[in-house]
Amino acid sequence: MADRYFNPFQAIDINVPVEFHEAFTRYCQRSADAVIDQSPFPRMVDLWFLSVCVAARLGLEPADTTKYDTRKIIDGSIFGSDPWRVHQLMLIAIGKTGDVHIVSEPRKMMTLASGLAVAGLPKVIEMLKDGDAEPIWNLSDAVDSLLRKEKAA
Amino acid sequence: MKLLRAEFQNFRMLRDLELNFSSDPEKKLTVIRAANESGKTTILHGLQWALYGDAALPGKGEGFRLHPIDWNASEGKRVPITATVEFELTTYRRVSGDVRETRRRYRLVRSAFEDVDSQARRSASTVKLFALNETGASPIDAPEAVINDELPPELREVFFTDGDRALSFIEADVALSTKRERVQRAIRSLLGLGVIDDAIKHVRKSASEVNRKAKQVGSGSELNRIASRLEEMENDREKFEADLEDAKQQFGAFDEKVDDIDRKIAAALQKGDKEKLQKDLDQAKREIKRLDDQLATANKEHSALFRSRSIATDLLAPLLGRAFEKLEELHDQGKIPNTTIPVLQDRLSAEICICGETLESGDPGGEKRRAHIQKLIDDSQRADEIQEIITDLYYGAKPRQADGDSGSSVWLEEYKAVVERRDGLQTLRDEAGRKFRALEMQLDELPDTDIQGLRETRRQYKDQRDRHLSRQSSIETQLTGLRREREDLEANRDRLLREQKKGARILAELEVTQDVTKVLQSAYERITNEELHKVSELMNNIFIEMIGADPEQGAIIRHAEISREFDIIVYGPNDRTLNPDRDLNGASRRALTLAFILALTKVSEVEAPNVIDTPLGMTSGYVKRSILRTAVRESSQLVLFLTHDEIAGCEEIIDEAAGVVFTLTNPAHYPKMLVNDPGVAERKALRCECDHRSECQLCQRRADAQAELEMAS
Repeated sequence: MADRYFNPFQAIDINVPVEFHEAFTRYCQRSADAVIDQSPFPRMVDLWFLSVCVAARLGLEPADTTKYDTRKIIDGSIFGSDPWRVHQLMLIAIGKTGDVHIVSEPRKMMTLASGLAVAGLPKVIEMLKDGDAEPIWNLSDAVDSLLRKEKAA
Repeated sequence: MKLLRAEFQNFRMLRDLELNFSSDPEKKLTVIRAANESGKTTILHGLQWALYGDAALPGKGEGFRLHPIDWNASEGKRVPITATVEFELTTYRRVSGDVRETRRRYRLVRSAFEDVDSQARRSASTVKLFALNETGASPIDAPEAVINDELPPELREVFFTDGDRALSFIEADVALSTKRERVQRAIRSLLGLGVIDDAIKHVRKSASEVNRKAKQVGSGSELNRIASRLEEMENDREKFEADLEDAKQQFGAFDEKVDDIDRKIAAALQKGDKEKLQKDLDQAKREIKRLDDQLATANKEHSALFRSRSIATDLLAPLLGRAFEKLEELHDQGKIPNTTIPVLQDRLSAEICICGETLESGDPGGEKRRAHIQKLIDDSQRADEIQEIITDLYYGAKPRQADGDSGSSVWLEEYKAVVERRDGLQTLRDEAGRKFRALEMQLDELPDTDIQGLRETRRQYKDQRDRHLSRQSSIETQLTGLRREREDLEANRDRLLREQKKGARILAELEVTQDVTKVLQSAYERITNEELHKVSELMNNIFIEMIGADPEQGAIIRHAEISREFDIIVYGPNDRTLNPDRDLNGASRRALTLAFILALTKVSEVEAPNVIDTPLGMTSGYVKRSILRTAVRESSQLVLFLTHDEIAGCEEIIDEAAGVVFTLTNPAHYPKMLVNDPGVAERKALRCECDHRSECQLCQRRADAQAELEMAS
C-alpha cells in the first residue's frame, strides 16, 4: 500500500455527542495515576472503538450523528498507533454497505463508524455499570458473555 | 557559557586558591584530583555562591559560615570573602546570510564580609560583572540578569552536581513527591515554561477586565448577576490554586518526615538488638512492594485487553466475515492482487526491461524507455487507486481473518489468563498484608520507649500527611466543580451578550481571550510532553550505553524512562519496574542520575558546563570507564572532581580527553595521609600542577608511598 493510504482517517476528527462526554471522562485513563479498575480504557479512542465493535456485533443500525450536539474527542491520527484499526474500519464499512468502493471515501467510512459508536455507546456504558463489581470486571464479564452467547448460538 | 578561571579568597578552606578550566572543544575535560576533605565540595559551593549568591548555599546560606574555620582573629574580626569567576559567552548573529560567531569574556566578582564570632553574621554580598577586552575591563549593569539568561538558576543542580546528592532523583529513601518535584522542576525550568505561565496569567487578567465590561453593559440584569458571579469565581480559583499548591507541599514535607522516622525506627531496632524483627519488617515491606508492582502490571494487562486487536476481531467476526467474502470475490475475479505497479517499479530499479533492453539512466535509449515506464506507472497509479487500497486491505487483514475463522476466541483466552494472574497475585498480596500487620503488632508490643515514641511521632506525621492529601483531593474536586460552573455561566453570559446591542464587541474580546488561553495551555502541555519525551529518550540512550559493559546489570535492566508524572523508572525483563535501591547496583544508580543530568543539559541546548563532584564513586572497571567516556562525549564542558580511587583505571581516557588536570591537597592530612610535611599550619586547599599520573613533594600520599615500597621489594 502506498504511504498516503496508510491512515486515510488522519485528518478526520472523531466527534462524540456531548451527553457521552462524562462517560469518556469517567471510564478512560487520563493520567498514569488513574485507577484502572474504575477507568478500564487506556485512551478515549479505545472506548469509542469498542462501542463501534459492540454495535456491529449486536447488529445495531448506525445512529444519525447530525441530530446530536457533538464535540471532538480526538482526531484520526490516533489510528497511526494502531494501524490494524484502519483495516477494521474499512472492513466494517464494506461489511455494512456491501460496497468495496467505499474504501476510497474516508469521510463516509468515518461517518458510518461514528454512527455505530453512538449506537453502541449506551450499550457499552450499560456493560460497565451493570454488575456488582468495579467497571473493569463488569465490562469483562459482559464481553465474555457476549462472545460466548454468539459462539453457543 | 564556558568556565575559564575561578579564584577564591577566604571562602571556607579556599583561603587563596586559583583554578583554571579547559575551554578547548577537543579536550573539554578538566580534572581536579583531590582526596576527600580537600575542598572539592567547597569549590562546588564557591562557584555557585559566586554565580547565584546566598540562595545557592546549603540552607540558602542561613547559618552557613563562609570564612575559614581556623581564621586567626588577630588578622581581623571581619573577614573579607571573595569569589571570582571568569567565563566566556558565545553569541551568534546573522550577517548577510552567514552566521557570525562572537566570543566574549567576562569576569564576575562577588564579595561579602563576615564577623568572626559564633553567629558568623554576614553582610549582603555585592556582585559585579565586567566585560574583558584588550584594554581592560568594562563594568556591566544587572549581572544577575546575564547569569540567569546563561545559567538559569532553576537548573543550578543540573550544572553543578554533587554525585552523591544527585542520587536523590531516584533513591527510594527520598519521598516520591520530592523526587517528582525535583525532576519536574528541572524539566520545566529547562523549557522556560515560566514565560508561558506568565502569559496565561496575563490573558486571564485581561479576560477578567472584559468580564467587568460585560457586567456594566447588563447593569441590574441577569447578565450583570452572571458577570459578577464569574468575577467572584476568578478570585475563588486563584485562592483554591494557591491552597492546592500549599497542600501538595505540606503533603511532600510530611511524607519526607514519615520516611525519616521509618529510618530512625530501623536504626533503633538494630541498636535495641531487634535485628530479626527489623529484618522481617524490611522483607515484608519489600514483598508488599514487589507484589504491588506485579499487581499494577497485571491491571495494565487487563486494561490493555480493551484496546487489543483480539477484542475487536472477535466482536467483529460476523461482520468482517461478510466484508471478506466481498474481497474474496474480487480475488477470484483476478482483481486482487494489484501487481502492475510493483512489477514495473521492480524493472526500473533493476534497470533492465521485461524485454531485456537496458533501462540505465546514462543510456539514451534506456532513458527514453525509463520515461515511458514511469508514465505507465503514473497512469496505473491513478486508475488503480481503489484496487490498490483493496489489495492492501486483503493481504493486510487476511492472516488475522484466517485466525478468526477458527471459531475460537483469542480474547477469551487472554482474559482467562489475566483473571488467573490477578486473582493469584491478590491472594499473595492479602497474605503479605496480614504478615506485615502481625509484625506491626509485635512492634507495638515492644517495651522499648524510644521505639514507641518514634512510632507515636510517625502516627502523628502520617495523620498530618493524610490530612493534607485529603485536603488536596477536596480542593481538586472544588476546582473541577468551579470549572464546570464557570463553563455554564460563561455560555449563558455569551448568549446574553449576543442579545445586547453593545454586547458584540465585548463578546469578540472575550472570544479572543478564550482562544489565546486555549492556545497557550495546549502549547504548555505539548511542549512539556514533547520535551519530556526527548529528555527521557536521551537519558535512556546514555544510561544504557553507560551500563552496557556490565553483564550483571545488562541482564536485568531493559530500559529507563521518565514518566508523564515525572518519575524516573527503570524497567527489567517483561517490563517489570525495578527498585533502584534494591535491584540496581551503586554504579547503575550513579549512571542513571548522570544520564538524566547530561540529557537535561543537552536537550536544553544551553551551552553550559557540567561541574560534577565524585561522579564515579561506587563504580569500577568497564562501567566506570564507560560512564566517563560517555559523560565527556555528551557534555560541552566537563569539570570533574575526582578522588585517586575514581581516577584509577581511567588514566587513558583522561590522557585523551582532558585539557587541564591539577591536584588539590589538604595540608591537615599530614602526617596521617601525606608523606611530606607541607609546612602550612592552616587548614586550606593547596594546588599543585601534578596531573592524574604524577605526584610531588606536596601531594604524595601515604598509601601511594607504601605501594611504591611494596613494588620495590
